[in-house]
Amino acid sequence: MPTPAFDVSRSDDSTTLIVRGSLDINTAPVLADEIDRIIVDKPRFVVVDMTGLDLIDSSGVAALVKLYKGVRAAGGEVMISGARDQPLAIFKLLRMDKVFNL
Amino acid sequence: MAATVMLSVPGTLRYRDLAVSVVSEAARLVACSDDARDAFGTAVIAAFSEIFNNVAIHAYQRKGGGTIDIAIKPTDRELVIEVADHGNPFDLGEVPPLPSDIDEHSLPEGGMGIYIAKKMLDEVSYEPGPPNLWRLCKRLPGGVRANTRV
Repeated sequence: MPTPAFDVSRSDDSTTLIVRGSLDINTAPVLADEIDRIIVDKPRFVVVDMTGLDLIDSSGVAALVKLYKGVRAAGGEVMISGARDQPLAIFKLLRMDKVFNL
Repeated sequence: MAATVMLSVPGTLRYRDLAVSVVSEAARLVACSDDARDAFGTAVIAAFSEIFNNVAIHAYQRKGGGTIDIAIKPTDRELVIEVADHGNPFDLGEVPPLPSDIDEHSLPEGGMGIYIAKKMLDEVSYEPGPPNLWRLCKRLPGGVRANTRV
């Protein structure tokens, strides 16, 4: 299984998830494990930096929706930043751009 | 008459990127200007990827055991892609529609792939088989000069 390019940094109450390359059905399952860990930590604030993300498919979107719901359920907030090109087009197509403030 | 590009790959996600790369190059044959090429290719790749996912996951249950046979037909105005498999038939009627008003509480976690494919393309049809057959069509927008080099 391909390894998605992502980094996670944590501070006291916030977490930053940087995703690069392609987040799709082959790479999203690996990121899902990291997302589970983020949700368990119950951070107050999560930033998903998509500046380096070139492609996303419905599996990638589902992974980020899971992150959003998990963090929100614990009272945290999620912000997606840097969405551009194809990933931004997909979020707009799915009418999720307003939810994620893109 | 434009050539038809035929590709047959094992029905697993392992071969998705290979199939997507071939479709991506075929899309470049249809659209000529950079702007048109980018938009056309983005739509075709996004849609085809979702359909390939669907076949590998639903038709072949992530186990492979058959092929995905892809016929790519670039013409001077459109790109037609036929995707055939011999796996389980898919029931398009079971795909839940996306909520009409998406907010924090109605964010979907599934059923988005077919929606993306339909929205990105001009035509998406499916005939249960065997073989099961997806037919995808993306046309150049009006006024865009085509430059098919096949």
